[in-house]
Amino acid sequence: MKRIGKTYCLPITKLTVLCAAIGIVLLGACRDPFEPEVTETDLGILVVEGFIETNGEESKIILSRTAPVGQSSQFSKETRASVRLNSESGETWFFEEKNMGEYSLTATLDNNTRYRLEINSAGGRQYLSEWMQPVVSPEIGELGFIRDQNGVEIYVSTQGNEAAQYFLWTYEEHWIFRPAVRTVFKYNPETKDVEPRRDDERIDLCWNSNVFPKIILQNAARFENNTILQRELVRIRPNDERLMQRYSILVKQRAINQETYDFWEILRRNSDDIGGIFSPLPSLIRSNIEPISNPEETVIGFVSIGQSASKRIYIDNADVAPWPVTIEDYKFCRMETDTILVANYSSAFGSGQRLPAAPVMVETTTIGFYPVRRDCADCTLRGSNVKPEFWED
Amino acid sequence: MSIRAIILLILIGIGRLGFAQEISQDGQRITGLFPGISFERFASQIESKTEFRFYFDEKALSETQVNISAKENTLSQILTGIFEGSEFRFFIDERKRVFITQGAPLDNSLNPDFFKTLEDQQTLDSLQRQKDIDRVYSRNKLYILGETNPSKTGTATLRGNITSLENGTPVNGAIVFEKINYTRAISNDKGNYEIKLPTGRHVLFIQNLGGFVEQRQINLVGDGILDISIEENIISLSEVTISSEKMSNIGRPEMGVQKLNIASMKKIPAVLGEVDVIRSILTLPGVQTVGEASVGFNVRGGAADQNLILYNHSTIYNPSHLFGLFSAFNPDLVESVDLYKAGVPVKYGGRLSSVLNVNGKYGNPDKVTVRGGIGLLTGRLSVDGPLGPNTSFSLGARSTYSDWLLKILEENTDFQNGAANFYDFDLHFSQKIGQKNVLRFNGYGSRDRFRFDPDTTFQYQNQNFNLGWTHYFNEKLEMEVVLGRDSYEFGIEGRDNPSNAYNFGFEIKQNFAKANFRYELDERHTLQFGINALQYQLSPGSIAPEGPESIVVPKTVSQEQAFETSIFLGDDFEVNDKITVNYGARYVFYSFVGPNTVNIYQEGVPRTPASLIGERTYGSGETIQSYSGPEFRISGRYAINNISSVKLGYNTNRQFIHLLTNNAAIAPTDIWKLSDPHIKPQWGDQISLGYYRNFKVDKYEFSVEAYHRNMRNLIDFRSGAVLILNEALEQSVLNTDGRAYGAEFLLRKNQGKLSGWVSYTYSRSLLRTAAAETAEKINNGEWYPSNFDQPHNVVLVTNYAWSRRFSTSLLGNYSTGRPITLPVAKFNYGGSERVYFSERNAYRIPDYFRLDFSMNIEGNHKVRKLAHSSWSIGVYNLLGRRNPYSVYFTPVNGVLKGYQLSIFAEPIPFITYNFRF
Repeated sequence: MKRIGKTYCLPITKLTVLCAAIGIVLLGACRDPFEPEVTETDLGILVVEGFIETNGEESKIILSRTAPVGQSSQFSKETRASVRLNSESGETWFFEEKNMGEYSLTATLDNNTRYRLEINSAGGRQYLSEWMQPVVSPEIGELGFIRDQNGVEIYVSTQGNEAAQYFLWTYEEHWIFRPAVRTVFKYNPETKDVEPRRDDERIDLCWNSNVFPKIILQNAARFENNTILQRELVRIRPNDERLMQRYSILVKQRAINQETYDFWEILRRNSDDIGGIFSPLPSLIRSNIEPISNPEETVIGFVSIGQSASKRIYIDNADVAPWPVTIEDYKFCRMETDTILVANYSSAFGSGQRLPAAPVMVETTTIGFYPVRRDCADCTLRGSNVKPEFWED
Repeated sequence: MSIRAIILLILIGIGRLGFAQEISQDGQRITGLFPGISFERFASQIESKTEFRFYFDEKALSETQVNISAKENTLSQILTGIFEGSEFRFFIDERKRVFITQGAPLDNSLNPDFFKTLEDQQTLDSLQRQKDIDRVYSRNKLYILGETNPSKTGTATLRGNITSLENGTPVNGAIVFEKINYTRAISNDKGNYEIKLPTGRHVLFIQNLGGFVEQRQINLVGDGILDISIEENIISLSEVTISSEKMSNIGRPEMGVQKLNIASMKKIPAVLGEVDVIRSILTLPGVQTVGEASVGFNVRGGAADQNLILYNHSTIYNPSHLFGLFSAFNPDLVESVDLYKAGVPVKYGGRLSSVLNVNGKYGNPDKVTVRGGIGLLTGRLSVDGPLGPNTSFSLGARSTYSDWLLKILEENTDFQNGAANFYDFDLHFSQKIGQKNVLRFNGYGSRDRFRFDPDTTFQYQNQNFNLGWTHYFNEKLEMEVVLGRDSYEFGIEGRDNPSNAYNFGFEIKQNFAKANFRYELDERHTLQFGINALQYQLSPGSIAPEGPESIVVPKTVSQEQAFETSIFLGDDFEVNDKITVNYGARYVFYSFVGPNTVNIYQEGVPRTPASLIGERTYGSGETIQSYSGPEFRISGRYAINNISSVKLGYNTNRQFIHLLTNNAAIAPTDIWKLSDPHIKPQWGDQISLGYYRNFKVDKYEFSVEAYHRNMRNLIDFRSGAVLILNEALEQSVLNTDGRAYGAEFLLRKNQGKLSGWVSYTYSRSLLRTAAAETAEKINNGEWYPSNFDQPHNVVLVTNYAWSRRFSTSLLGNYSTGRPITLPVAKFNYGGSERVYFSERNAYRIPDYFRLDFSMNIEGNHKVRKLAHSSWSIGVYNLLGRRNPYSVYFTPVNGVLKGYQLSIFAEPIPFITYNFRF
C-alpha cells in the first residue's frame, strides 16, 4: 500500500539495486554525492510551522527563515514577533515567545468555531492565516509492534470518520543504552584517588532520543469505514541500539483537513521521493498564511488546529529477544589490560581521557586499576544520564 | 574535308571559337600534321603525346578520315574541325577523357541535366567540380543500344538482365524507369526486365528496393539489350544505408523523414547487444530522450506521448521492455523503420510530433529462414518463409530466459525476491489472391512483469492484431483496407500486508478501420485519399481489494469512450522536373460519448472543488463533447540540380489522447486520458525548411533542416496533482502552450570501409502556462524549458569494415543536460530540513556524454553453408562515465544532502550470438 495514491517512485535503495541490475558487472551504487551549483542568494522566506491544540495542551508556533541550500549554518529564527490567535467569535489569545522563534500558548479552545492566526513581525509586516476549523482526532486504536526477520515494525491502527479522514502522525523515541565498558568508579583529582560514583554521577546507563522523526501521513478514505490498519510508523532494523534494554515511543495522531494533508504530502514528496527514475517533478508548496503587508511576499507553511490524540508504549529487550546490539561508536572498545598503579593515577586519569574501569587486586589490596578510554565508558558523551520525566521503569 | 578543316583552323587561330564542350583545356596545345589517317590512329597518336584518352565506337568512326594540320591548337579546336558537318559530337571532361558520340543534334542529344549540371558547377571551386563531373560521368556514360532500323521509328523494346554487383545473382523486383513519361518495368525472379520506350535518348533509373538507384544514359536506336549490375543491400558490410533511396533525400518532396533499415541498425552498438529500433532512432538528429531508463523519446521538442508508433498498422502504446532497456520490437521481424519528424503523410494523424512506422516482415517468399539470437538476458527465435506459392509468413518470439542477474543481486544486497521478465511475440502473414488482392494479418503481443520487492508487482502488456486487404483495381488505383484492435493495459499488485492488499488496473482499447486509396491520376499527380475511424475505450483506473482480509475500498473511475474519424486527401504533384509539391488535408471529427458523468464548474474561475456546481450524466452513446477541425500537410521541393535541393514544409496536427505523466520520463504506470469537455485536444503546427546536398557521387550526404513549432492545449499539472484514480482530473491540470525550434545538421558517408554519420542538433523546447489559465501560473506565466529541452546534441555513428566479416562500430553521443528544478532555499519543518523550489526547470543536470563500441563478427557468407552465424560483442558506456539521470537533494537524518543518480554508471560489456539458417 506504500505507493498507491501517492507516487510510484522507487525508494532510493531499490533504485540503487536497479542500476546495479543494469550495471551487471559492478554492483556499485550509482547514487553519488553531488553538490549542484545552486543560488547562494539568501531568500529569507518566512516559515511558519505549528499545530494549535484545542484541548488545553501546549500549542507551539515556530517562526524561522529559509537559508540558502548550500549553506551549512543554522536557520535564523524570527524573533520578537507578535503572534496571536483570533476566533470568529471575536476572542483573542496571545502567544508568548518562550525560546527564540518559538511561540507558545496553552489554552482550551472551542472546537466549534473557526480561528485565524495573526503574526506581526518585528519588522512591522503582518501575516494572516486563512480561517481554520478545528478537526478532532479520534483516539489511537492500537499502537503495537511486530517482531519479524527484518527487526521490529511499530505500527498504528485507527478508525477515522467523515470529519477526520486524513491523518498525520509524529513520534518521539527514547531508549536506554549502555556503554561498551561499564564502570562505577571515578578518579577524584582532589584526593588523587579512585572512588565509587554516586548515583547522579552514573555513566553506565543513559537515555537517547530521536529528535528528527519522520512525518507519517495516511488517507483513511480509501479504506472501508475509514479504517487504518497497522500503518507502519517505525522500522527498527536488527542490532539497533534502540532495543538494547528498554525503548519507548510516544505517537501523536492529528486529524487534518485535505489541504493540510496535500501540503505535507508535497513536502514529503519534494524531499523524500525526489530524483528517482519514476519520481514526480517537484511541486510548489502552498501556504495558508497570507502576507498582508506585501502581497508579493512568499510564505511557507501550513498551520492547523485541532485536538490531537497520543499514546505511548514501551518495548523491552526481553519482548524481542534475542536482540544482539552493535553500536558503531563502540566498535573498537575494550578494557585495557595494563594496570595503572596507584602512584600513576594522576598522570593516567588526570586528563579525564581515561577512566578507571576495574580494580586490580592483590589479595585484598587494590594496587591499581585497569583503565578504559572515556568514550567507551561514558554514556553521557552520546546521551543523557538523567531519566526523562515521563519514563516508567 | 581537309580544305575546310584548314580554313577552319585559320579561323580558329584568329578568334577562339567558343564551344559548349570546351572546358579550359588550353594547357595542352597540339601541334602536328595528321594526313588522311583513320580516326582511330589519330586518337592513339594524340593519346601517346598527351594525357587525353579517347572513348568512342570504333565501328561507327571507321569511315572518318582525319586530314588536318595543327599548330598550337587545342584539342577542342581540332575535334571541332574534324567533326564539323558530321553527325558526331564530342565531349572532353576535366580528366581529359574525350567522348565521341553519334546522334541527333547536340543541344537535345543528351539529357538536359547533363549540361545544366556542368554549367551550375562553373560557379563552384574546381575541386568540387571535379567530384561532380566524376559523378556525371558515372551516370552519364552513353550506351547506344539496338540496331538502327529506319522503317521502325516509333518505339523500341529494351530487354536485359539485372544482376547483383556483389555476387552476380539475379535481382528480383528491381524497378527500371525513366522520368519523362514515367514508363517503368520490374525485373522478374530471374532478374529479367523488358521496357518499351520511344527511340532516342533516355535516362534510365534502376532501383533495387532498399538499395541504391543506378542511372544509365541510353540512346535507344532500336530493340536492344542492356544488362545492368546493381548493388544489392543484403550483407554489404561496406555500406551503411540509412536511406532506402539515396536519391530520395534530394528528390522526395517530404521533409524531416528518416529511414533506417535493419542492416544499418545492426551497426549501432546497443545495450546488451540487441538490435534496437528505438535506440537506433535516438541516433538520428532531432530525436532525444530524457534519460537512459526512459520509455519514450522526444522528437523536435515534443513530448513522448506525441509520437504515433505504428507496427504494421497497430498502434503500440508502450514500445519498451524493462524500463526502456529494450524496445518492444523483435529485430528479426523488422524490415525497416520510417520516422516522420515533419511532413507526416496525410494518411497518418492523431499525434503532434512524429510518426514512427515500424515495418514488420511478411516473410521471404522463396525459402524458409530461421533466425535467432541469445544475449545476456534475452533469447529470440523467429521463422519466416513461404507456405505456398502465394502465401508467406513470419513468426517470432522473444523472452527473458533467466532472472540470473537479479539472482546474483540478491546475494549482494538486501534486495530480495526482485524479479523482472518480459516476452513478446509477432505473427505477420501475407496471402495473395489472384493478381489483384493481397490479404495480410498482423498480430503482436508483449508483456512485462517486474517487482523490486515482494510487496508490489508491476505489469503491463500490449495486444494488437489487424487484418488488411490490398486490392489493385487497375494500374492506377489501389486500395488498402485495414481493420484491427489495439490494446494496452497495466496493473499494480500490492501485497504489502493482507489488510491492504490490492490490485490496480488501467486499460485502453482501440478499434480501428482504415481505408486508404492511392490513385495515379496522371503522370504528374498521384492522389492519396481515404478515411480512418477509431473508437477508443479507456478505463482510467480501478482498484480492488485482494484477499478476504483486505479492507481496501474498491473504486473505479468511470470508463471513457470516444470516436475519432478523419478523412483525407493528398496529392503528390510534380509540377516540373525541379518542383514537386506534396499537399493535402485531413479533417478530423472527434466525439467524446457517454455513458459518463461530467462535472460542471462555474465559468471563468479555476476548476476546483469549490467551483464545482454540479454534474451531468449522459446515456450510452450520447455525445458529451465533440471537436473537429482540419489539418494541413504541405511540403515542396525545389531541385537546384540533381545533387542538391531545398524543401519547405508546413503541417498541422491534432491529438485527442494525452498521456498524464508527472515524471520527466514516461513511467510504465502513467495513464492516458481522452479529450473531454474540460481537456481540449492538443493542436500543433510546424514550419520547416531544409537544404540537401550530395557530394562525391552520393558518397556523402549533407542536409540541414530548420523548424519552428507551436503547440496549444498541452497538459501540465498543478502542484500536488494526483493523477491516479482521480475522478476530477480537470482540477489537477494546467492548460499549457508549447513552442519548439531548432536546426538539424547531418553529414553522412554511405560508401567505403568507413561509413556512418555525424549529426548536430540545436533545439529548444519551451512551455508556458496558457494566458487563459487562472488556476496557477508556472514561473509566473513566462516561458520555461520543458523537461526534454536539450539544446545541443551531437551524435557520431561510425562503422569500419575491416573485412567483409569483421566490422567495428563506435557511437558517440553528447547532449546538454536536461533541465531540472532545483531548490533555491532550505528550511526546517517537521523536524527535518526541507527544500523550497522556485522557478521550474531553471537548472540543468550535467551534460551527457557516452561512447559505445561494438564488434560484429560474421560467419562466412558461403551460400551453401547451412547456418550463418554472427557475434556481436561490445561495451556500452565505454568510458564508464557516470552520466547523471537526475540531481536532487534529500534529507539524510534531517540534513539535506545533494546527490546525483546515474543509471548506467559503469561500462557494460555485452555479447550476443545470432544465427540464421
